[in-house]
Amino acid sequence: MAQTVVVTSGKGGVGKTTTSAAFASGLAQRGHRTVVIDFDVGLRNLDLVMGCERRVVYDFINVIHGEARLQQALIRDKMLENLYILPTSQTRDKDALTTEGVARVMEELQSQFDYIICDSPAGIESGALRALYHADAAIVVTNPEVSSVRDSDRILGILAARSKRAEEGEEPIREHLLLTRYAPKRVQGGEMLSLDDVQELLRIPLLGVIPESEVILQASNQGIPAIHMQGSDVSLAYEDVVARFLGEERPLRFVQPEKSGFFKRLFGG
Amino acid sequence: MSASKTAKSTLRFSGGVFTLSILHLTVATADSLQRELAAQGSALQLLQGAAVVLDLAELDPARPLPFSDWLRILRDNGCFPIGVRNASPTQAADAAANALPHLRGNEAKAASPALSTQSAASSISLATVLTHPLRSGQRQYGRGGDLVCLAAVNAGAEVLADGHVHVYGPLRGRALAGVQGEEGARIFCQRLEAELVAIAGVYMTLDAEHPLWGKAAQVFLDGEHLHIIALDK
Repeated sequence: MAQTVVVTSGKGGVGKTTTSAAFASGLAQRGHRTVVIDFDVGLRNLDLVMGCERRVVYDFINVIHGEARLQQALIRDKMLENLYILPTSQTRDKDALTTEGVARVMEELQSQFDYIICDSPAGIESGALRALYHADAAIVVTNPEVSSVRDSDRILGILAARSKRAEEGEEPIREHLLLTRYAPKRVQGGEMLSLDDVQELLRIPLLGVIPESEVILQASNQGIPAIHMQGSDVSLAYEDVVARFLGEERPLRFVQPEKSGFFKRLFGG
Repeated sequence: MSASKTAKSTLRFSGGVFTLSILHLTVATADSLQRELAAQGSALQLLQGAAVVLDLAELDPARPLPFSDWLRILRDNGCFPIGVRNASPTQAADAAANALPHLRGNEAKAASPALSTQSAASSISLATVLTHPLRSGQRQYGRGGDLVCLAAVNAGAEVLADGHVHVYGPLRGRALAGVQGEEGARIFCQRLEAELVAIAGVYMTLDAEHPLWGKAAQVFLDGEHLHIIALDK
Protein backbone atom coordinates (compact mmCIF):
# COMPACT_ATOMS: atom_id res chain seq x y z
CA MET A 1 0.00 0.00 0.00
CA ALA A 2 1.53 3.27 -1.09
CA GLN A 3 1.72 6.36 1.06
CA THR A 4 0.38 9.52 -0.56
CA VAL A 5 2.14 12.77 0.30
CA VAL A 6 0.89 16.16 -0.85
CA VAL A 7 3.33 19.05 -1.17
CA THR A 8 1.24 22.16 -0.68
CA SER A 9 1.39 25.75 0.55
CA GLY A 10 -1.53 27.95 -0.45
CA LYS A 11 0.84 30.61 -1.66
CA GLY A 12 2.63 30.42 -4.99
CA GLY A 13 6.37 30.61 -5.61
CA VAL A 14 7.41 29.25 -2.21
CA GLY A 15 9.11 26.11 -3.56
CA LYS A 16 6.46 23.40 -3.88
CA THR A 17 7.68 22.02 -7.20
CA THR A 18 11.35 22.26 -6.20
CA THR A 19 10.50 20.40 -3.02
CA SER A 20 8.36 17.79 -4.78
CA ALA A 21 11.19 17.02 -7.21
CA ALA A 22 13.89 16.91 -4.54
CA PHE A 23 11.82 14.96 -2.04
CA ALA A 24 10.65 12.37 -4.57
CA SER A 25 14.25 11.96 -5.80
CA GLY A 26 15.46 11.54 -2.22
CA LEU A 27 12.94 8.79 -1.53
CA ALA A 28 13.87 7.02 -4.78
CA GLN A 29 17.60 7.32 -3.96
CA ARG A 30 16.88 5.35 -0.83
CA GLY A 31 15.33 2.58 -2.87
CA HIS A 32 11.63 3.42 -2.54
CA ARG A 33 9.50 3.11 -5.65
CA THR A 34 8.23 6.66 -6.03
CA VAL A 35 6.00 8.56 -8.41
CA VAL A 36 5.62 12.33 -8.46
CA ILE A 37 2.46 13.82 -9.97
CA ASP A 38 2.02 17.36 -11.27
CA PHE A 39 -1.43 18.66 -10.24
CA ASP A 40 -0.78 22.15 -11.56
CA VAL A 41 -2.80 21.74 -14.76
CA GLY A 42 -2.09 24.40 -17.36
CA LEU A 43 1.19 25.49 -15.76
CA ARG A 44 3.33 22.40 -16.37
CA ASN A 45 6.46 22.95 -14.30
CA LEU A 46 7.40 19.67 -12.67
CA ASP A 47 8.68 18.06 -15.87
CA LEU A 48 10.91 21.11 -16.46
CA VAL A 49 12.37 20.92 -12.97
CA MET A 50 12.86 17.17 -13.41
CA GLY A 51 14.41 17.71 -16.85
CA CYS A 52 12.04 15.47 -18.77
CA GLU A 53 9.89 17.99 -20.64
CA ARG A 54 10.96 16.64 -24.03
CA ARG A 55 9.81 13.16 -23.15
CA VAL A 56 6.20 14.07 -22.37
CA VAL A 57 3.86 12.41 -24.85
CA TYR A 58 0.81 11.55 -22.79
CA ASP A 59 -0.06 13.18 -19.49
CA PHE A 60 -2.16 12.87 -16.32
CA ILE A 61 -5.17 14.46 -17.99
CA ASN A 62 -5.02 12.01 -20.92
CA VAL A 63 -5.08 9.17 -18.42
CA ILE A 64 -8.00 10.69 -16.51
CA HIS A 65 -9.98 11.02 -19.72
CA GLY A 66 -9.13 7.50 -20.84
CA GLU A 67 -7.10 8.73 -23.84
CA ALA A 68 -3.98 6.92 -22.68
CA ARG A 69 -3.02 4.15 -20.31
CA LEU A 70 -1.22 5.04 -17.11
CA GLN A 71 1.92 3.17 -18.23
CA GLN A 72 2.09 5.31 -21.38
CA ALA A 73 2.02 8.54 -19.40
CA LEU A 74 4.51 7.61 -16.66
CA ILE A 75 8.02 8.86 -17.45
CA ARG A 76 11.00 7.16 -15.88
CA ASP A 77 13.46 9.59 -14.30
CA LYS A 78 16.75 10.00 -16.15
CA MET A 79 18.83 9.51 -13.00
CA LEU A 80 16.90 7.17 -10.76
CA GLU A 81 15.28 3.98 -11.94
CA ASN A 82 12.84 3.88 -8.98
CA LEU A 83 11.40 7.26 -9.82
CA TYR A 84 8.58 8.06 -12.21
CA ILE A 85 7.00 11.35 -13.19
CA LEU A 86 3.36 11.81 -14.13
CA PRO A 87 3.35 15.17 -15.94
CA THR A 88 0.31 17.32 -16.41
CA SER A 89 -1.19 19.01 -19.42
CA GLN A 90 -0.17 22.46 -20.54
CA THR A 91 -3.26 23.05 -22.63
CA ARG A 92 -6.12 22.09 -20.34
CA ASP A 93 -7.37 23.81 -17.21
CA LYS A 94 -8.05 22.66 -13.69
CA ASP A 95 -11.58 21.48 -14.45
CA ALA A 96 -10.02 18.62 -16.40
CA LEU A 97 -9.15 17.03 -13.04
CA THR A 98 -12.35 15.18 -12.20
CA THR A 99 -12.83 13.71 -8.76
CA GLU A 100 -13.54 10.21 -10.09
CA GLY A 101 -10.71 10.38 -12.61
CA VAL A 102 -8.12 11.36 -9.99
CA ALA A 103 -9.41 8.67 -7.64
CA ARG A 104 -9.06 6.01 -10.35
CA VAL A 105 -5.48 6.99 -11.18
CA MET A 106 -4.50 7.13 -7.51
CA GLU A 107 -6.00 3.69 -7.01
CA GLU A 108 -3.99 2.31 -9.90
CA LEU A 109 -0.73 3.87 -8.62
CA GLN A 110 -1.27 2.41 -5.14
CA SER A 111 -0.27 -1.08 -6.18
CA GLN A 112 2.81 -0.04 -8.14
CA PHE A 113 4.56 2.39 -5.81
CA ASP A 114 5.68 2.92 -2.21
CA TYR A 115 5.25 6.69 -2.29
CA ILE A 116 2.98 8.93 -4.36
CA ILE A 117 4.06 12.58 -4.19
CA CYS A 118 1.43 15.11 -5.29
CA ASP A 119 2.78 18.49 -6.34
CA SER A 120 -0.12 20.84 -5.60
CA PRO A 121 -0.87 24.07 -7.46
CA ALA A 122 -0.99 27.31 -5.46
CA GLY A 123 -4.30 28.60 -4.19
CA ILE A 124 -7.21 26.86 -2.54
CA GLU A 125 -9.23 26.11 -5.68
CA SER A 126 -10.22 22.78 -7.15
CA GLY A 127 -6.71 21.85 -8.33
CA ALA A 128 -5.26 22.22 -4.84
CA LEU A 129 -8.23 20.40 -3.30
CA ARG A 130 -7.84 17.44 -5.68
CA ALA A 131 -4.10 17.28 -4.92
CA LEU A 132 -4.62 17.05 -1.16
CA TYR A 133 -7.77 14.91 -1.17
CA HIS A 134 -6.06 11.51 -1.14
CA ALA A 135 -3.12 12.47 1.10
CA ASP A 136 -1.90 10.47 4.08
CA ALA A 137 0.75 13.08 4.87
CA ALA A 138 1.27 16.70 3.89
CA ILE A 139 4.41 18.76 3.51
CA VAL A 140 3.40 22.38 3.99
CA VAL A 141 6.02 24.52 2.27
CA THR A 142 6.32 27.93 3.89
CA ASN A 143 8.58 30.94 3.39
CA PRO A 144 9.57 32.99 6.42
CA GLU A 145 7.20 35.86 5.70
CA VAL A 146 3.77 36.70 7.07
CA SER A 147 1.64 36.20 3.98
CA SER A 148 3.13 32.78 3.30
CA VAL A 149 2.56 31.73 6.92
CA ARG A 150 -1.03 32.94 6.74
CA ASP A 151 -1.68 30.97 3.55
CA SER A 152 -0.09 27.87 5.07
CA ASP A 153 -2.39 28.25 8.04
CA ARG A 154 -5.33 28.41 5.66
CA ILE A 155 -4.25 25.28 3.81
CA LEU A 156 -3.75 23.44 7.12
CA GLY A 157 -7.36 24.20 7.96
CA ILE A 158 -8.41 22.82 4.58
CA LEU A 159 -6.28 19.70 5.07
CA ALA A 160 -8.09 19.11 8.35
CA ALA A 161 -11.54 19.58 6.83
CA ARG A 162 -11.65 18.69 3.14
CA SER A 163 -9.44 15.63 2.68
CA LYS A 164 -10.68 12.10 2.16
CA ARG A 165 -9.41 11.18 5.61
CA ALA A 166 -11.38 14.03 7.14
CA GLU A 167 -14.53 13.20 5.20
CA GLU A 168 -14.39 9.54 6.15
CA GLY A 169 -13.54 10.28 9.78
CA GLU A 170 -10.20 8.49 9.65
CA GLU A 171 -7.03 9.52 11.43
CA PRO A 172 -6.08 13.01 10.23
CA ILE A 173 -3.36 13.74 7.66
CA ARG A 174 0.14 13.90 9.18
CA GLU A 175 1.25 17.51 8.86
CA HIS A 176 4.88 18.52 8.30
CA LEU A 177 6.27 22.02 8.12
CA LEU A 178 9.04 22.71 5.62
CA LEU A 179 10.54 26.16 5.85
CA THR A 180 12.17 27.16 2.56
CA ARG A 181 14.21 30.13 1.31
CA TYR A 182 15.47 30.64 4.86
CA ALA A 183 18.21 33.25 5.21
CA PRO A 184 19.53 33.25 8.80
CA LYS A 185 21.34 36.53 8.26
CA ARG A 186 18.17 38.30 7.23
CA VAL A 187 16.35 36.74 10.16
CA GLN A 188 18.99 38.21 12.42
CA GLY A 189 18.49 41.58 10.79
CA GLY A 190 14.77 41.35 11.46
CA GLU A 191 13.81 41.25 7.78
CA MET A 192 12.46 37.71 7.93
CA LEU A 193 10.38 35.76 10.40
CA SER A 194 12.50 33.37 12.43
CA LEU A 195 12.03 29.63 12.56
CA ASP A 196 10.63 30.03 16.08
CA ASP A 197 8.13 32.66 14.92
CA VAL A 198 6.83 30.42 12.16
CA GLN A 199 6.58 27.39 14.42
CA GLU A 200 4.81 29.42 17.07
CA LEU A 201 2.24 30.55 14.50
CA LEU A 202 1.61 27.25 12.75
CA ARG A 203 2.29 24.75 15.55
CA ILE A 204 2.95 21.67 13.47
CA PRO A 205 6.05 19.43 13.56
CA LEU A 206 9.07 20.75 11.63
CA LEU A 207 10.38 18.54 8.85
CA GLY A 208 13.26 20.77 7.87
CA VAL A 209 14.68 24.11 6.84
CA ILE A 210 15.97 24.72 3.31
CA PRO A 211 18.36 27.66 3.12
CA GLU A 212 17.93 30.39 0.51
CA SER A 213 20.44 29.56 -2.20
CA GLU A 214 21.24 30.33 -5.81
CA VAL A 215 21.87 26.62 -6.29
CA ILE A 216 18.08 26.16 -6.49
CA LEU A 217 17.89 28.44 -9.50
CA GLN A 218 20.80 26.69 -11.22
CA ALA A 219 19.28 23.30 -10.52
CA SER A 220 15.84 24.09 -11.88
CA ASN A 221 17.25 25.80 -14.96
CA GLN A 222 19.29 22.69 -15.70
CA GLY A 223 16.35 20.39 -14.99
CA ILE A 224 18.10 18.66 -12.12
CA PRO A 225 16.29 18.14 -8.80
CA ALA A 226 18.15 20.20 -6.17
CA ILE A 227 18.96 17.16 -4.05
CA HIS A 228 21.43 16.08 -6.79
CA MET A 229 23.50 19.27 -6.48
CA GLN A 230 26.38 17.47 -4.76
CA GLY A 231 27.85 19.11 -1.69
CA SER A 232 25.51 22.11 -1.69
CA ASP A 233 23.66 23.25 1.44
CA VAL A 234 20.37 22.72 -0.34
CA SER A 235 21.17 19.16 -1.28
CA LEU A 236 22.22 18.31 2.28
CA ALA A 237 19.13 20.01 3.69
CA TYR A 238 16.81 18.01 1.41
CA GLU A 239 18.60 14.78 2.34
CA ASP A 240 17.89 15.61 5.98
CA VAL A 241 14.26 16.23 5.12
CA VAL A 242 13.89 12.81 3.50
CA ALA A 243 15.66 11.13 6.43
CA ARG A 244 13.40 12.83 8.98
CA PHE A 245 10.32 11.97 6.97
CA LEU A 246 11.38 8.32 7.15
CA GLY A 247 11.72 8.56 10.92
CA GLU A 248 15.46 9.26 11.39
CA GLU A 249 16.70 11.87 13.83
CA ARG A 250 18.80 14.60 12.22
CA PRO A 251 20.02 17.80 13.87
CA LEU A 252 18.87 21.05 12.23
CA ARG A 253 21.44 22.66 9.94
CA PHE A 254 21.66 25.98 8.11
CA VAL A 255 19.60 27.90 10.66
CA GLN A 256 22.47 29.97 12.05
CA PRO A 257 24.14 32.77 10.10
CA GLU A 258 27.53 31.84 8.62
CA LYS A 259 30.48 33.19 10.53
CA SER A 260 32.16 35.65 8.23
CA GLY A 261 35.96 35.67 8.21
CA PHE A 262 38.12 38.30 9.82
CA PHE A 263 39.00 40.10 6.60
CA LYS A 264 35.47 40.01 5.34
CA ARG A 265 34.31 41.60 8.57
CA LEU A 266 37.09 44.16 8.37
CA PHE A 267 36.42 45.21 4.79
CA GLY A 268 32.69 44.56 4.75
CA GLY A 269 31.14 41.63 2.92
CA MET B 1 -28.04 10.31 -10.33
CA SER B 2 -26.27 8.81 -13.30
CA ALA B 3 -26.91 11.98 -15.27
CA SER B 4 -24.84 14.02 -12.81
CA LYS B 5 -21.78 12.00 -13.70
CA THR B 6 -21.91 12.74 -17.37
CA ALA B 7 -22.98 16.39 -17.32
CA LYS B 8 -21.39 18.84 -14.93
CA SER B 9 -24.06 20.88 -13.14
CA THR B 10 -24.01 24.61 -13.56
CA LEU B 11 -25.96 25.11 -10.33
CA ARG B 12 -24.24 25.94 -7.12
CA PHE B 13 -25.97 26.08 -3.75
CA SER B 14 -24.57 27.82 -0.74
CA GLY B 15 -25.89 29.21 2.53
CA GLY B 16 -26.24 32.81 3.60
CA VAL B 17 -27.53 34.84 6.51
CA PHE B 18 -29.63 37.91 5.82
CA THR B 19 -31.16 40.61 7.92
CA LEU B 20 -34.81 41.04 6.96
CA SER B 21 -37.57 43.39 8.01
CA ILE B 22 -40.43 41.80 9.90
CA LEU B 23 -43.96 43.08 9.63
CA HIS B 24 -46.00 42.22 12.72
CA LEU B 25 -49.62 41.87 11.66
CA THR B 26 -52.26 42.45 14.32
CA VAL B 27 -55.50 42.60 12.33
CA ALA B 28 -56.42 39.86 9.91
CA THR B 29 -58.15 41.89 7.20
CA ALA B 30 -56.84 43.31 3.96
CA ASP B 31 -58.53 46.71 4.46
CA SER B 32 -56.83 47.30 7.78
CA LEU B 33 -53.40 46.64 6.28
CA GLN B 34 -54.10 49.11 3.50
CA ARG B 35 -55.24 51.73 6.04
CA GLU B 36 -52.32 51.17 8.38
CA LEU B 37 -49.78 51.42 5.58
CA ALA B 38 -51.34 54.64 4.34
CA ALA B 39 -51.14 56.02 7.89
CA GLN B 40 -47.38 55.39 7.99
CA GLY B 41 -46.88 58.27 5.55
CA SER B 42 -43.26 58.98 4.72
CA ALA B 43 -42.02 56.25 7.08
CA LEU B 44 -43.12 53.85 4.37
CA GLN B 45 -40.23 55.12 2.26
CA LEU B 46 -37.90 53.07 4.45
CA LEU B 47 -39.57 49.88 3.29
CA GLN B 48 -39.23 50.65 -0.42
CA GLY B 49 -37.70 47.64 -2.11
CA ALA B 50 -37.32 45.77 1.18
CA ALA B 51 -37.89 42.04 1.59
CA VAL B 52 -40.27 41.52 4.51
CA VAL B 53 -41.36 38.56 6.59
CA LEU B 54 -44.95 38.57 7.85
CA ASP B 55 -45.19 37.71 11.53
CA LEU B 56 -48.54 36.08 12.38
CA ALA B 57 -47.92 35.59 16.12
CA GLU B 58 -50.61 38.04 17.18
CA LEU B 59 -53.32 36.66 14.94
CA ASP B 60 -55.89 33.98 15.73
CA PRO B 61 -54.23 30.74 14.54
CA ALA B 62 -57.58 29.24 13.43
CA ARG B 63 -58.56 32.14 11.22
CA PRO B 64 -57.99 31.99 7.46
CA LEU B 65 -55.88 34.93 6.28
CA PRO B 66 -56.13 37.03 3.10
CA PHE B 67 -52.60 36.26 1.84
CA SER B 68 -53.24 37.15 -1.80
CA ASP B 69 -54.69 40.57 -0.84
CA TRP B 70 -51.80 41.24 1.52
CA LEU B 71 -49.29 40.36 -1.18
CA ARG B 72 -50.93 42.72 -3.63
CA ILE B 73 -51.13 45.59 -1.13
CA LEU B 74 -47.53 45.19 0.00
CA ARG B 75 -46.21 44.95 -3.54
CA ASP B 76 -48.20 48.05 -4.50
CA ASN B 77 -46.38 49.79 -1.65
CA GLY B 78 -42.97 48.68 -2.91
CA CYS B 79 -42.32 45.81 -0.44
CA PHE B 80 -41.52 42.21 -1.30
CA PRO B 81 -43.06 39.72 1.14
CA ILE B 82 -40.86 36.62 1.12
CA GLY B 83 -42.31 34.42 3.85
CA VAL B 84 -44.28 34.11 7.06
CA ARG B 85 -43.39 33.13 10.57
CA ASN B 86 -45.25 32.01 13.65
CA ALA B 87 -47.95 30.52 11.42
CA SER B 88 -50.32 27.74 12.45
CA PRO B 89 -50.24 24.63 10.21
CA THR B 90 -53.32 25.77 8.22
CA GLN B 91 -51.99 29.28 7.87
CA ALA B 92 -48.63 27.90 6.77
CA ALA B 93 -50.35 25.80 4.10
CA ASP B 94 -52.34 28.82 2.87
CA ALA B 95 -49.16 30.89 2.81
CA ALA B 96 -47.33 28.19 0.86
CA ALA B 97 -50.15 28.20 -1.70
CA ASN B 98 -49.31 31.91 -2.17
CA ALA B 99 -45.59 31.14 -2.56
CA LEU B 100 -44.76 32.31 0.96
CA PRO B 101 -42.62 29.77 2.84
CA HIS B 102 -42.96 29.31 6.58
CA LEU B 103 -39.67 30.54 8.06
CA ARG B 104 -38.61 28.93 11.29
CA GLY B 105 -35.71 29.48 13.64
CA ASN B 106 -36.34 32.27 16.10
CA GLU B 107 -40.04 32.05 16.90
CA ALA B 108 -39.50 32.14 20.66
CA LYS B 109 -37.77 35.46 20.39
CA ALA B 110 -40.53 36.79 18.21
CA ALA B 111 -43.23 35.81 20.68
CA SER B 112 -41.76 37.92 23.46
CA PRO B 113 -39.25 40.35 22.03
CA ALA B 114 -39.08 42.34 25.25
CA LEU B 115 -37.95 39.31 27.21
CA SER B 116 -35.42 37.94 24.73
CA THR B 117 -32.27 38.75 26.68
CA GLN B 118 -33.58 37.33 29.93
CA SER B 119 -34.73 34.13 28.31
CA ALA B 120 -31.36 33.68 26.62
CA ALA B 121 -29.60 34.13 29.93
CA SER B 122 -31.77 31.68 31.81
CA SER B 123 -31.68 28.85 29.25
CA ILE B 124 -28.93 26.38 30.11
CA SER B 125 -26.93 24.89 27.31
CA LEU B 126 -23.63 23.06 27.36
CA ALA B 127 -20.66 24.88 25.86
CA THR B 128 -19.25 23.91 22.48
CA VAL B 129 -15.70 22.62 23.01
CA LEU B 130 -13.13 22.83 20.25
CA THR B 131 -9.95 20.80 20.77
CA HIS B 132 -8.07 21.47 17.54
CA PRO B 133 -6.59 24.80 16.46
CA LEU B 134 -8.81 27.07 14.41
CA ARG B 135 -6.91 28.24 11.36
CA SER B 136 -7.13 31.14 8.96
CA GLY B 137 -10.45 31.13 7.11
CA GLN B 138 -12.18 28.80 9.58
CA ARG B 139 -15.08 29.78 11.76
CA GLN B 140 -16.65 28.22 14.83
CA TYR B 141 -19.94 29.18 16.41
CA GLY B 142 -21.03 28.24 19.92
CA ARG B 143 -24.77 28.22 19.28
CA GLY B 144 -27.00 28.81 22.27
CA GLY B 145 -24.13 28.93 24.78
CA ASP B 146 -20.41 29.29 25.35
CA LEU B 147 -17.56 28.37 23.08
CA VAL B 148 -14.39 26.89 24.57
CA CYS B 149 -11.30 26.70 22.37
CA LEU B 150 -8.50 24.61 23.83
CA ALA B 151 -5.97 25.36 21.09
CA ALA B 152 -5.00 28.47 19.14
CA VAL B 153 -7.40 30.69 17.23
CA ASN B 154 -5.10 31.90 14.46
CA ALA B 155 -5.16 35.14 12.54
CA GLY B 156 -7.93 35.15 9.97
CA ALA B 157 -10.06 32.69 11.98
CA GLU B 158 -13.28 33.68 13.71
CA VAL B 159 -14.88 32.40 16.91
CA LEU B 160 -18.44 33.37 17.81
CA ALA B 161 -20.79 32.40 20.62
CA ASP B 162 -24.20 33.33 21.94
CA GLY B 163 -22.58 33.17 25.37
CA HIS B 164 -18.96 33.60 26.48
CA VAL B 165 -15.87 32.80 24.41
CA HIS B 166 -12.94 31.11 26.16
CA VAL B 167 -9.63 30.62 24.36
CA TYR B 168 -6.86 28.68 26.09
CA GLY B 169 -4.36 28.99 23.23
CA PRO B 170 -3.32 32.32 21.73
CA LEU B 171 -6.26 34.36 20.42
CA ARG B 172 -5.04 35.90 17.17
CA GLY B 173 -8.19 36.00 15.09
CA ARG B 174 -11.57 37.56 15.73
CA ALA B 175 -13.67 36.74 18.78
CA LEU B 176 -17.31 37.72 19.10
CA ALA B 177 -19.29 36.91 22.24
CA GLY B 178 -22.99 37.44 22.82
CA VAL B 179 -23.71 37.57 19.12
CA GLN B 180 -27.48 37.33 19.71
CA GLY B 181 -27.34 40.43 21.87
CA GLU B 182 -26.39 39.03 25.28
CA GLU B 183 -24.59 41.98 26.86
CA GLY B 184 -23.32 39.97 29.83
CA ALA B 185 -21.20 37.75 27.59
CA ARG B 186 -17.43 37.98 27.96
CA ILE B 187 -14.29 36.89 26.17
CA PHE B 188 -11.55 35.17 28.17
CA CYS B 189 -8.20 34.34 26.65
CA GLN B 190 -4.75 33.17 27.66
CA ARG B 191 -2.96 35.38 25.18
CA LEU B 192 -4.67 38.39 23.75
CA GLU B 193 -3.41 39.00 20.22
CA ALA B 194 -6.81 39.35 18.61
CA GLU B 195 -7.56 41.23 15.42
CA LEU B 196 -10.97 42.16 16.74
CA VAL B 197 -13.09 41.54 19.83
CA ALA B 198 -16.82 42.15 20.06
CA ILE B 199 -19.56 41.71 22.61
CA ALA B 200 -23.24 42.05 21.70
CA GLY B 201 -22.26 43.92 18.54
CA VAL B 202 -19.92 46.42 20.21
CA TYR B 203 -16.54 45.83 18.68
CA MET B 204 -12.97 46.99 18.91
CA THR B 205 -9.90 46.28 16.82
CA LEU B 206 -6.58 45.67 18.53
CA ASP B 207 -2.90 45.87 17.73
CA ALA B 208 0.42 45.17 19.40
CA GLU B 209 0.36 48.59 21.07
CA HIS B 210 -2.31 47.45 23.50
CA PRO B 211 -0.95 47.22 27.07
CA LEU B 212 -2.34 43.70 27.54
CA TRP B 213 -1.13 42.39 24.17
CA GLY B 214 0.12 38.84 24.55
CA LYS B 215 -1.25 38.60 28.10
CA ALA B 216 -4.11 36.72 29.71
CA ALA B 217 -7.10 39.02 29.55
CA GLN B 218 -10.85 39.27 29.58
CA VAL B 219 -13.14 41.51 27.61
CA PHE B 220 -16.52 42.67 28.87
CA LEU B 221 -19.14 45.23 28.00
CA ASP B 222 -20.07 48.03 30.37
CA GLY B 223 -22.82 50.18 28.94
CA GLU B 224 -21.61 51.03 25.48
CA HIS B 225 -17.92 50.49 26.12
CA LEU B 226 -15.74 47.44 25.88
CA HIS B 227 -13.28 46.96 28.70
CA ILE B 228 -10.20 44.80 28.53
CA ILE B 229 -8.57 43.87 31.83
CA ALA B 230 -5.92 41.40 32.89
CA LEU B 231 -7.26 38.01 33.92
CA ASP B 232 -5.22 37.70 37.09
CA LYS B 233 -6.49 40.92 38.63
